[in-house]
Amino acid sequence: MRMQTSLPASLPNSLPAGFEALEPFVDYWAGATNDIRWDRRARASMAEIRSFYEAAVPRADEGLAYLEQFPLAAMPDDATRLLRLLLSLPHAAMAVEFHGQPRAAASPFPHGMHIGRGPWPQGW
Amino acid sequence: MSVVDLPKPNTEFPKLTVPNGLGTGPIPIAPYISQAWYEQERDRVFGRAWLCMGRVEQLPEADSFMVKEIEICGVIALITRDAKDQIRAFHNVCSHRANLVVHETSGKGSRFVCKYHNWAYRNTGDCIGVPDRANFFDLDMKKCGLTPIACETWEGWIFINLQKQPEVTLTEFLGNFGEAFRDAPAPAATQAFTVDVTSMRANWKVTIDAFCESYHVPVLHPSTLGDTFANDSNRYARPLSGNVRGAHRTMTTFGNPNYLPPESSLIERLAYSNIDTGNTLGANDAADMQALQNHPAINPNKVPNWATEICWLFPNFLIFYSPGGFFTLEFWPLSVNTTRWVARMHTPVAADVRQRFQQEHYSCRMAEIFLEDVGNLERQQKAMESGGKSEIILQDGEFLLRHSIETIQKWVASATVREALAE
Ligand code: FES
Ligand SMILES: [Fe+2]
Repeated sequence: MRMQTSLPASLPNSLPAGFEALEPFVDYWAGATNDIRWDRRARASMAEIRSFYEAAVPRADEGLAYLEQFPLAAMPDDATRLLRLLLSLPHAAMAVEFHGQPRAAASPFPHGMHIGRGPWPQGW
Repeated sequence: MSVVDLPKPNTEFPKLTVPNGLGTGPIPIAPYISQAWYEQERDRVFGRAWLCMGRVEQLPEADSFMVKEIEICGVIALITRDAKDQIRAFHNVCSHRANLVVHETSGKGSRFVCKYHNWAYRNTGDCIGVPDRANFFDLDMKKCGLTPIACETWEGWIFINLQKQPEVTLTEFLGNFGEAFRDAPAPAATQAFTVDVTSMRANWKVTIDAFCESYHVPVLHPSTLGDTFANDSNRYARPLSGNVRGAHRTMTTFGNPNYLPPESSLIERLAYSNIDTGNTLGANDAADMQALQNHPAINPNKVPNWATEICWLFPNFLIFYSPGGFFTLEFWPLSVNTTRWVARMHTPVAADVRQRFQQEHYSCRMAEIFLEDVGNLERQQKAMESGGKSEIILQDGEFLLRHSIETIQKWVASATVREALAE
């Protein structure tokens, strides 16, 4: 199975209508793979993580509800971008809800650990 | 989440070390840091044991193949499934001038062509093509096949053995582990999200040991795991049961039934709100989980508050069965103090976007936990090598580690595998 990882670079209105307020976060936080989303969070400052988390959490349930209309493995580009953005919330939550800092105190960075494949059906 | 009886108090946790026939003394550090010992393990453990390569589902259809490297023995195994679904293993080495035949790590193909001079092989191992064959000297193509490696399967698990003639069959090697775990389910085995550590600086036993005791969990993983594996009834995460099973071993760990994401964990709560797992650490569905819980060897005492059944296949392969699903970990020595390891977390193909969101939370939590272990183990290896101590001390809840090192010592000391396997 080929992983679909490339989307056109984000454009104005790259998210579905109604989610414009999250547009500034797309470039950094809508990473194409689980591994990228993890790495982006690990490299971000706590202020950056919090600003994404605080902007996106209030829209998360609504975003998931919007995405429910599409088959998971065949979403339009703007919906895929929104999905990837929302999938960064669990990563941000590791910092905000678990560690209180960008990375666990006991963990090394950089490190040689990678998510080879993300959850399915996408594998990213 | 279902209502569960309050767990039993500490005093009723079972004893594991002595009832399983193990010693209670300190363990020497030399096996974790000595080059000479490492070479003994290479020859007597990895060179003689049946080694688990993973699941048959990793070869999903006829003519699938995968390449697995056993670095400690310098072996590159090509594992194939032919048109009749027979699974075989070969050295991935060309019969002409011994180049590597297959470069990919997995894929599909009924024949393989060496990219040096185009010798061709079928996935049954037969040599089927030699360019300009007339210019060789009495070349017998029947003798030019890929060199086989002993390969057997058990319950959907693929094993190889690097002995030219394995001294014992896979069935003998698995012993009563194989009997106890017959028909164990493998839910969502057709796909996994994977975590790869290409190289970390710790001995392979230091590394695998950390996944086989829960004593460290409240200390090392306080925010990622702490409250899920311990509570006031079991503050030190004592195991709920444990069994030595021939060269192998299993243990049931405790889960806190009262764990709920705190109010402030908005995303953790959102991730688990619509899923019927009844388990905030898992990602599988309720029917799969019930099938695991019905198996007699998984949580064998059927105690209510269990988190995982850890199955440690000697020497280096772990299968974790939990109410939240099923995953494997494999640890491959690269040198005396470096290890490569791979986690394969089997979760169902998400049916909808909310399940997919929950799986992202599950995967990043697991990766986060694993990374805490990596940092910790690299520190431990360095400290072990400092010479400050010559022995380590193990408690009762660390009995899997004791059985592992005792078994390795026995294999290193034994002239034959049958002797190593004797009770
Ligand atoms: S080494 Fe493979 S064809 Fe020559
Ligand atoms: Fe750990």
